[in-house]
Amino acid sequence: MKDAQAHQDEELLGKAYDGQLIRQLLRYVAPYRLWVVASLLLLFLTTGMQLLGPYITKVAIDTYIAARDLHGLNVAVVAYLITVLVGFVSQYAQSYTMQYTGQRAMHDLRTQLFTHLQRQDLAFFDKNPVGRLMTRVINDIETLNELFGSGVIALLGDLLTLVGVAVAMLALDWRLALISFVTFPFMLRATTAYRKRARDTYRDSRRILARMNAYLQESISGMATVQTFGQEARHFNRFKEINTQHRDALLKSIQYNAVFFPSIELFSAISVGLVLWAGGVMILDERVLPGVVVAFVQYVHRLFTPIRDLAEKYNILQAAMASSERVFKLLDVQESLVEPATPTHPVRLRGEIEFKDVWLSYTAGEPVLREISFRVAPGEKVALVGATGAGKTSIISALCRFYDVERGSIRIDGIDVREWDKRTLRQQLGLVLQDVFLFSGDIARNISLGDPAVAEERIAEAARRVHAHDFIERLPEGFRAVVEERGSTLSQGERQLLSFARALAFDRPILILDEATSSVDTATELLIQDALKTLLLGRTALIIAHRLSTIQFVDRIIVLHKGRIREEGTHQELLAHGGIYSRLYELQYQPLA
Amino acid sequence: MTDVGGLAIPWLTKDALDTFLAGPERAAALWKYPALIVLAAGVQVIFRYFWRTHLFGFSRHIEWDFRNAIVAHLQRLPLRYFTHTKTGDLMSRLTNDMVSFREMLGMGVMAVIDAAFTIATSLLLMVVIDPWLTLWSLLPLPSITILVLLIGNRIFDRYRDVQRHLSTLSTFVQENLAGIRVVQAYVQEENQQRHFDDLSREYQALNLDLVKHWGYVTPVMTVLSGLAATIVLWLGGRKVAMGTMSLGELVGFYGYLGMLTWPMLAIGYVINLYQRGSAALVRLLEILDTPVAAGYQVPGTARVSKVCGEIELRNLSFRYTPDAPLTLQGITLTIPAGTWCGIVGETGSGKTTLVSLLPRLYEPPPGTIFIDGIELCELPLQTLKQAIGFVSQDIFLFSETIRDNILFGNGGATSEDLETAADLAQLTSSIQEFTHQFDTLLGERGVRLSGGQKQRTALARAIVKNPPILILDDAFSSVDIETEERILEQLKGFMRGRTAILISHRISTVMEADQIVYLKDGRIVERGSHEELLALRGYYYRLYRRQLLTRELDALSDNGGARA
Repeated sequence: MKDAQAHQDEELLGKAYDGQLIRQLLRYVAPYRLWVVASLLLLFLTTGMQLLGPYITKVAIDTYIAARDLHGLNVAVVAYLITVLVGFVSQYAQSYTMQYTGQRAMHDLRTQLFTHLQRQDLAFFDKNPVGRLMTRVINDIETLNELFGSGVIALLGDLLTLVGVAVAMLALDWRLALISFVTFPFMLRATTAYRKRARDTYRDSRRILARMNAYLQESISGMATVQTFGQEARHFNRFKEINTQHRDALLKSIQYNAVFFPSIELFSAISVGLVLWAGGVMILDERVLPGVVVAFVQYVHRLFTPIRDLAEKYNILQAAMASSERVFKLLDVQESLVEPATPTHPVRLRGEIEFKDVWLSYTAGEPVLREISFRVAPGEKVALVGATGAGKTSIISALCRFYDVERGSIRIDGIDVREWDKRTLRQQLGLVLQDVFLFSGDIARNISLGDPAVAEERIAEAARRVHAHDFIERLPEGFRAVVEERGSTLSQGERQLLSFARALAFDRPILILDEATSSVDTATELLIQDALKTLLLGRTALIIAHRLSTIQFVDRIIVLHKGRIREEGTHQELLAHGGIYSRLYELQYQPLA
Repeated sequence: MTDVGGLAIPWLTKDALDTFLAGPERAAALWKYPALIVLAAGVQVIFRYFWRTHLFGFSRHIEWDFRNAIVAHLQRLPLRYFTHTKTGDLMSRLTNDMVSFREMLGMGVMAVIDAAFTIATSLLLMVVIDPWLTLWSLLPLPSITILVLLIGNRIFDRYRDVQRHLSTLSTFVQENLAGIRVVQAYVQEENQQRHFDDLSREYQALNLDLVKHWGYVTPVMTVLSGLAATIVLWLGGRKVAMGTMSLGELVGFYGYLGMLTWPMLAIGYVINLYQRGSAALVRLLEILDTPVAAGYQVPGTARVSKVCGEIELRNLSFRYTPDAPLTLQGITLTIPAGTWCGIVGETGSGKTTLVSLLPRLYEPPPGTIFIDGIELCELPLQTLKQAIGFVSQDIFLFSETIRDNILFGNGGATSEDLETAADLAQLTSSIQEFTHQFDTLLGERGVRLSGGQKQRTALARAIVKNPPILILDDAFSSVDIETEERILEQLKGFMRGRTAILISHRISTVMEADQIVYLKDGRIVERGSHEELLALRGYYYRLYRRQLLTRELDALSDNGGARA
C-alpha cells in the first residue's frame, strides 16, 4: 500500500518556472561557467550562420543572377557553403558543451545527494522508504538532466532564432517584415490557449498514469488475495476503467496537438501568402527586388519553427522544476545526530561498556528501553536474553549510536558515545546482525565490503579462521564467486559464517552480535559455535543469544523484559533463582524433541 | 493525401513569383496565388488534423487493448510466477516497454507513411521543374539516411550501454540504502561514496559518449541539406542567370528540397523506433506467453448447487517445483462437513502450503484432494473459491476504504452483513474510532491499521462471504490472547455447520477443534483431539507446556520479578 501511494506523490507537478529553484540549480552549473559561456557563444554563431543563408540567397538573386554575373554567383555559393560548414561545426560543438555541462553538474548533484544520504541516521531511513529515496537519486536527477539535454539551452536558442529572424527581416525590408508579422498576435493567442490546455491534459494524464501504476503495483503485490477470493474479473474491470481514463486523457491531448501543430503551418502559410501578395505589389512598383521576396519566404519558415518548439518544451521545464524541488527538499534535511564540537578520537579501546539509566524511544511517549544500567568490563562477554520486543535490539542500536538515547548515557571506556566522533566510534565496534545483509558482488567483496584497507590475505585468513573457507573453496570460483541477489544461493549457516568472517576481517575490539534464530543442521551448528569462539577471543562482546551453547560460555547474562532489566547473573545463578530466565530457558533453549 | 496542401505551396510560390516577374500586365493575378496558398494550407490543416487524430488515436486504442490483455492475463498466472518475477520488472514492462511499443505504432507508422509520400511527390515535382538539377541536388541527400543508419546503430549500442549502467547505478543505490545499517556500522560511508562517485562518473562518461554520437544527427542533417541547397543555388543560379530557368522555378525547387530533409531523417529515426519497439514487444509477449494457472486452463465441469464442506486429502504429497524437496508428504486426512480441524507445527512444517492447495493457489497432484467427494479440478473454479473463506498469514489489504476491503469477496452483501461481519471480527470498536467509519481510506492517504486490526479486517472479509469452508491461517498472531478468545467465542455461533481449518501457533486457538493434527517436516506426526494429544506426551504436549510458560511470562507485571 505504501509503495502504491508513493507513486502518486511522485507525479505532482508544480510551476514551470520557479526563480528560487533556478537559482539553486545555477549553483551547480556555476563551476562550469566557462563551458556555459562557450556554449552560449557557439549558440550565437550557429544562429547567425542560419540567418545568413537566406540573406546570401537574396544577394545571389538580386545582385548576381539578375546581372548574370556568374563569377559573383560563385562567390555567393562559396559564402553559402561556408555558412553551412561553420554552422555544422558550431552546432555540434554547442550541443556537446551544453550536454557536458549538464552531465558534470548532475554528477555533482547526484554524488552530493548520495553522500548526504550516507550521513542520515536510522530514524531517517525508518521514515523514508528505500523506493522513494531511489527515485530522488536516480529518476529525479535524470529528469533534471533532460533540462540540459533538450530544455533550457535549446529554449534559449529558439528565442535567439526568433529575435534574430525578426531583426534580419526588419533590416531587409521593414514594410514586408511588418506585413509578415501580422499573423503574430493570433498565433500568440493560439499558443497560449494551447499551452494552457496541453498543460492541463499533461497533468491529467500524468495523474492517471500514476494511479494506473499504483493500481498495477498493488494488483501484482496482492495477486494472492485476488486469486484466493476469485476476484480476477472484478479486479480487471477496475483496471480497465483506469486504463480507459488514461486513454481518453491522451486522446484529448492528441486532439489539441492535432489542432495546434497544423494550425501553426496555416499561420505560416498565411504569412507566406501575405509576403507574396505585398511583395508582388512592391515588385511591380519596383520598390523591392525579387530576391528580397525569396529571402522573406525562407525567413518566414524559420520564424515559425521555434514557436512550435517553445510550446513543446514547456512540459520538460515543468517536470524538471518538480524534480529539483524534491531533490533540494531532501538535501535540506539536517542530520539529527549531532556531532560533538570537540570529538574524541580513540586510539585503541580497552573495550569497557557502561549503560547508565538509559531510556530510548522511537516514537515520543513509547519508551522501548527504560532505566537500563549495566557495565561490561574489558574482555567480558555478556548475553542479552529476553522475549521478542524485550528491547535487546534497541540496546545494540543505542550502543552503535544509530539512535540517540532519550535519557541517561552510554559510555565506552568512560566517555559518552555522544562525545565520540561517530565514525571513529563505529570503527571500534564489530556488528554482526542476524539478518545477514549481502551485497551483490563476489564473496571477497562481501567480506571486505569493498574497503581497500582490507587486504586479500586478510579476507582469506578471516574466512579460514571462522571455517567459511571450506564452503567458499567448494564454490566454482571460490572467493570470486558472485553472490546472487540477497544471497539466495547461500544457505543460512553459510551466510552466518560469511558475516563472522566480515567481522573478523575488520578486527574490532568490541563485538556486538545478534545471533541468528534460524535452525541449521548439526554439522553447521558446530562450525558456527567454533567460529564464534574464535571471533570472541580477546574481545569485549555483547550478544543477543538464541543458542544454548552460546549462553553457556558467556560470563554473564542480562535478562530483559518489556524494556527493563529484570535479572542479571550467570547461567547457574539465574536458573537457581527460578525467575524469568529459568522460564525463558525452558521455553527457548530446551530442545523440542 | 494529407500533404497535398503542403506540397502545393512551393509550386504556388513558384507560379506566383514567375507571374509577378513576367510584368505589370499580370497585376490582376496578384491576389490569386496568395489566396491559393492559404487555401492549400487550409486543406493541409484539415487533412493533418484527421491524419494525426486517426493514426495517433489508433495507436492509443491498440495500447489500451494490449494493456488490458496483459493485465487480464496476469490475473490468471500461477502465483509462482509472481514469486519469481520482480514487481519492478513487471511494472517496467507494462509502462516503459508499452510506451516504446506504442511509439513504434504511432510515430513510427506515421513517419513511414509521411516520409514515403512526401519523398515520392516532392521528387516528382522537382523532376517536373528540372530533372537535371534534381539529380545533382540529390547527391548529398541519401547520405543522410546512410549516416543516420550508421550512427543509428552506434547510438543504439550506446543508448543500451547507458540504460544498462543506469540499472547498475540503481542497484547500487538500492543495496546501499537497504543495507545502510551494515554500511554505517562498518563505517563504509566514504568507501561507498567513492564507489558511487566512480559509478556516477562512468555513467556520465557513457552519457557523453552517447551525446558525442547523438549530437551529430541534427547538425549532419542541417549540413547535408545545406549542401544540397548550395548545389541548387550554384547550378540553378547559373541556369536562371542564363535564362534557361525562371526565378520562380528556382524558389519552388528550393521549397521541395527543404521538404525532403525531414523524411530523410525520419527514415533513420523510424529504424530506431522500430528497434526499440520490437524489443519491447518481445518483452511484452513474454508475459502473454506464460501459461495461466491450471485452474484457468481447463474449467471444472461438475455441477454443484451447494458445497457442504467435506474435505478429504488422500495421500497428498506436494513439491513447489520438480527439483524442490517435498513440502508435504503422504498427507491423508478427512475433515467431515461442519467440523473443525486444527493444524499445529513448527515454522516451515507445511501448514500454509497445505491450505494454499485448497483454493488451488498452487496445483495439487491429481487424485489427492476432494471436496464433497468431488476432485478439486472437477469443481468450477468460481464455485470453489466462493465456497472458501480464507484469512492468510500475511494480510494484504488494498488502499481503498475499509468497506471496499471487507466487501472484496462479496460485492453484493448488504450493509447489515457488513456490520455483522465487523462485529464478529471484533472490528466494530476500532472502526468507530475512525472519523469516516467504514468509509475510512486505508494506506498512506488514509489510516494505517495495526497488525491486529489488519487481521481482524481480513477476518471480516472472509466472514462476509458466508462461506461453507473457513480457513484461518495463523489469523490471530497479532491479536492479543484476550481478543482472540472473544473472537473465537463469537465465531462459534457463525461457524456452526461450517467446516473450519484453523492453523495456529497457539494451542488456545485449536484446542476446541474436533480434530487436531501436528505437522512436522511435511508429515502428520500426531493426530487426535486436544485431550488425546496431551495424553500422547509428544510434540503437541511439549508445545502446550511451552505456551503455558509464555502466558505466565506475559502475565508478569512490570514491577514484578527480581534482580538476581
